[in-house]
Amino acid sequence: MSDQAQLLPGTVDLLILKALSLGPMHGYGVLLRIAQISQQAILVEQGALYPALFRLLRQGLLKATWGFSENNRRAKFYELTAAGQKRLGEETAGWNRLATAIRLVLVAKPEEV
Amino acid sequence: MSIFGRLRFSSQGAFRSDVLRSELEEEMRTHIDQRADDLEAQGMSRREAQRQARVEFGAFERFREESQDALGGRLIRILLEDLRYAVRQMRKSPGFASIAIVTLALGVGAATAIYSVVDAVILEPLPYIRPRRIFVPRTIAKEGYQQPPSWPGYEDMRAQNRTFSALAGYTDYTNTDLQTKSGPVVLDLVASTANFFQVFGVEPILGRTYRLDEDQPGKNNVAVLSYDVWKSNFGGDPNVVGAKFDLDGKPYACIGVMPPGFMIKGDRHAIYTPIVVPRRRLNDRGYHWVEVIGRLKSGVSVERAQADMNHVMSDLGRAYPGTDRGRRVELISIAEDTYGDQSGGIWTLVGAVLAVLAIGCVNLTGLLLARSIRREREMALRTAIGASRRRVIQQVLTENLVLAFFGATGGIAIAWLLLIELRGFLISAVARGANAHLEWKVLLAALLLSSVTSTVAALTPALRLSGTDPNSALKAGGNTGTSTAQHRLRSAFIVTQVALSLLLLSIAGVLLRSIAGYRNEKLGFDAHHILTAEIDLSSARYERRNVWADFYQPLLERIRSLHGVEGAGLISRVPIQQGGGVNEQIHISGQPPYPPDEVTLAEMRLVSPGYFDAMGIRLIRGRMLSSGVDLANNKAGSIVVNQAFVNKYIPKPLDPVGQHLDDASKADLKTEIVGEVTNVRQDLIGKGVSPEMDWLYTELDPRDLNTNLMSTHLMVRTLGNPRVIVPELLTIVHRLDPTAPIRQPQTMEEAISDSLVMQRMESWLFGIFAAIAILLAVVGLYGLVSHEVELHTRDIGVRMMLGATRGSVLRMFLRRVTILLGLGIGSGLALTVATQKLIQSVVDMQIVHESGLLLISAIILMLMGLTAALIPARRAASIEPMDALRAE
Repeated sequence: MSDQAQLLPGTVDLLILKALSLGPMHGYGVLLRIAQISQQAILVEQGALYPALFRLLRQGLLKATWGFSENNRRAKFYELTAAGQKRLGEETAGWNRLATAIRLVLVAKPEEV
Repeated sequence: MSIFGRLRFSSQGAFRSDVLRSELEEEMRTHIDQRADDLEAQGMSRREAQRQARVEFGAFERFREESQDALGGRLIRILLEDLRYAVRQMRKSPGFASIAIVTLALGVGAATAIYSVVDAVILEPLPYIRPRRIFVPRTIAKEGYQQPPSWPGYEDMRAQNRTFSALAGYTDYTNTDLQTKSGPVVLDLVASTANFFQVFGVEPILGRTYRLDEDQPGKNNVAVLSYDVWKSNFGGDPNVVGAKFDLDGKPYACIGVMPPGFMIKGDRHAIYTPIVVPRRRLNDRGYHWVEVIGRLKSGVSVERAQADMNHVMSDLGRAYPGTDRGRRVELISIAEDTYGDQSGGIWTLVGAVLAVLAIGCVNLTGLLLARSIRREREMALRTAIGASRRRVIQQVLTENLVLAFFGATGGIAIAWLLLIELRGFLISAVARGANAHLEWKVLLAALLLSSVTSTVAALTPALRLSGTDPNSALKAGGNTGTSTAQHRLRSAFIVTQVALSLLLLSIAGVLLRSIAGYRNEKLGFDAHHILTAEIDLSSARYERRNVWADFYQPLLERIRSLHGVEGAGLISRVPIQQGGGVNEQIHISGQPPYPPDEVTLAEMRLVSPGYFDAMGIRLIRGRMLSSGVDLANNKAGSIVVNQAFVNKYIPKPLDPVGQHLDDASKADLKTEIVGEVTNVRQDLIGKGVSPEMDWLYTELDPRDLNTNLMSTHLMVRTLGNPRVIVPELLTIVHRLDPTAPIRQPQTMEEAISDSLVMQRMESWLFGIFAAIAILLAVVGLYGLVSHEVELHTRDIGVRMMLGATRGSVLRMFLRRVTILLGLGIGSGLALTVATQKLIQSVVDMQIVHESGLLLISAIILMLMGLTAALIPARRAASIEPMDALRAE
C-alpha cells in the first residue's frame, strides 16, 4: 500500500473532526468520508475508529445521538460541538504552520543555508 | 468539557459499564453490518461479505475495551468487576472464607481491644499542663520503706528547695459529707495547700482556683468542684460560683469548677478545699501523713531537683536527728505515681496480643497459600486467555480486600465486646481504665497489618502463577514441585502456632491457679458471712457530743440485735479491702535495740468492742480488750497483738502478755500488751500477715475519739447471706443520724474479688488468648491435614492397592501429626523457659514448680491436635483405591 500516506499517531482525531465538520454522521460513515476526502490515500483501521471517537466524546469535542442509518439500522450519530469546531480550527492552523515550515526546510537550496 | 460532564462519563463508565458495553457492541456490530452491506452491494455473498467486514474491522474485543476505557471510569469499573468476582469466589468456598474472616476478626479484635486499654491507661497523656514536669518526691525513711513527710517536714521541703516552682501538700484519702436537698452525700476530699493547682497548671472552666493566702484560717472556707461533682451534685448550674453549702457541717463557698477530665490519681468525683492542719500536727515531726507533689522550675533537670531535695533532707536530718535522720527522697514522675506497677502487667498483655495477632496472620497465610495452590489451574487458564499479569495480581489483591473488609467488621464487633468486659474489670483496678474506648486508629492499624500479611501471603503464589507457563499447570495432575515447599512452610506455621498456644495456655493456667490460691489463702476470717460498710459523719454535728456514746454504741447494739447477726464492731481500716500501710515503728521494752536497717513496723488499728467477735478472731493468750478495764484515763494504753507480731518481736521463752512498747519515756506510761489474738491478713497480695497491734477506740481521750470516729468501718457477721441485712442496717443508721451516709456495704467476699481484679482480668484475658490461639492452631492443623490428604489421594490409592490397610494409612497420618505437635510442644516449652523473665512481670511462675501444669497443657494440646487431625485422616483411610486412581 505504498500510495497510502503513513498515518502519524494522533492524526485520526483531526481527521474525524474534519470529517464531521461536513455534517453529523455515524461511525461507518465517518470512515467512508475520510477515505473519500483523502481520495483513498488514508484508510483508517476500522475498529480503531471507535476508541478515537469516544476519546473525542469524553473531551467534549463531539456529541452523540442515536438515530437510524440509510438502511434503517439503529446507529449512533456523532456531530461536532462548538468546542470541537474550535479545536478543528486550531489543529488545522497548527498543521498548516508545520507543513509550511517543513516545506521551507525541504525546499531550501544548499546555498541558502 | 466541564468537570460535571467528565464526571458523568466517568460514573457511567464505572457503574453502568454493562449498559455501555452492550451499546458499544451494538454500535460496532452495526458498523460491521454496514460494511457488509457495501461489500454485498459490490457482489459478494452475504456470508462472504459478513466475514470480510469482520476481518477488516480488526480486534473487536480490544477496540471495545479501549473505547470503554476512553470514556473513563476505568479504574472503578475494574475494581467493581474484581469485587464482584471476589465475592463470587468467596461464596463458592464458604468454609475457607468463614475461617479466614474469623481468623482475621479474632486477631484484629483482640489486638484492638487490648491496645485501646493500654492507650487509655498508659499512653494517653495525663490531663495536666506539661505533665512531664510534675513530680512526686517520694520520701523514704532511714529503714528503707516509703513514708510521707510530716507537716513541718513538708513545710521545710517547700521553703528550702530551690528547684520546684510549686510544691504542694495534700491529702486525698479522706471523705467529706456534702449536705444536699436529698440527703447527705459522701465526696472524696482533696485538701491541699493553696498552691496546689499551680502544680497542674490547669485553668478552671468557671470561677477561679485558690488565691495563695486561702489556706490560712479564716479564709479557707472555699471549695473548688470537680467537673463530675459539679454535674451530679450541683446540677451543672452555671451560676454555681458563690454558692454556699455545708461540708461536714461547716459552711463553704464554691469559687470555681475544674474542666472535665481533670482529676488526681484517677479520682474524678472529688471536691477540693484548702487543707486544715490539725493543731497538734502543725509541729509534729513524728507523724507522717502529707502527700507531696510539685512542678519543677523550667530548665531544671530531674537529677538536679532530686539532688537539691536530698540536700534539704540531709539538712533536716542534721537539724532534727530524732525524727528526720537518714530520710531521703526519690523523685517519681506523676505518671509512675498514678499508674503504679501496673504497667509491667499491661506490657505483657501487649505481648500476648501481638502473639495472638501473629498466630492469626500466620494462620491466614497458611490458608491463603493452600487456597492458591488449589487455584493454580484457574490462574493458568486466565493467563492463557489473555489476562495480563497485572490484572491477575490486581484480582488477588481485591479478593484480599474483601476478606479484610469482612474481617474488619468482625474485628470491630469482637473488640467492642471485649472492651465492655474489660472496662468492667478495669474501673475498679486501674485509675484510668474507665477511659478505655475503641481506638479506631488501632483497628485500622491492626487491619492494615493483617491485610498486608495476608496480601503478601496471597501474592507470592499469585506472582508465581501469573508467570506460569499455562501448559504445565493445566496438565493433568499438575502439582508443580513447589507445592511441597509450601506444604513445609505450612507445617512450620503449625509448629509455631502450637508453640505459642502452649505458652499462652501455661500462663493462663498459672494465673488461674494463683487466683484460686489467693482465694483459698488463710485469711483468718470467714469471708462469706461478713459485711463491711464505711460510715462518715459530719464533724460539726458531733462537736459538743460524745460520738461513741451518742451514735456508735447504740448503733452497734441495735445491729447486734438484728435477726441473723452474730456480731458487729468497728475497725479503722478494713482487712483486704483497704490493705495495710497504717503502721509505726515499734520497739519492745527490754529488748536490745533493733539493727538500724531492719524494718520494725507494726500495723496499727483502732477497734471497737465487738470487733474481734464479729471477725471470728480468737484469743490465744492473755485477755481481750475491754471497755470497762481499758479506759481512756488509764495512764498507759492497752493493746492486743496478733500472732505475726509475737513471732517477730517476742523472742521465744517470753510471754507476750505483760510486755510493753517503748512509746513513752516513763515506764508506767508505756503501752502494755494484754493479749495475743489469731492472725487476720491485712493484704491479699503480699508477703503474708503483717504484725499488728489493736487499740480500743474508747481508750482515746474524748477529743481524739471524736476525731477518729468521724470516719470508720463497720464489720458485721451474719448467719446467712450478709447482704440480707443491708436495708435494716441502713434504717438503723438513718434513725440514729439522718445526715450520716453509709458507703459501700460490701461483703468480704466481694472485697476479695475486687482486690484480685487485676489478676482476674489478666487470667481472663490470657484464657481467652489461649483459647483463640488453640482454636486457630487446631483449625490450621485441620486444614493442613485435609490438604495433605487431597494432595496425596493418588498415592494413598496406590498404597492401598499394594496392600496397605486402612489402619496403616490412618497411623501414617497420625504419626506425622504427632511429630508436628511434638515439635510444636517442644518449642513451646523452650519458648516458655526462654521468656520466663518476661512472664514474671505478669505472674510468678517458676518453671521447675510448674512442670505439672506444663505437662497438662501439653497433653491438652496434643489431644486437641490429634482430634482435629483425626477427621481428615479418617477420610484418607476410607478412600476407595479405585476412585483415588481414577480421580484427576
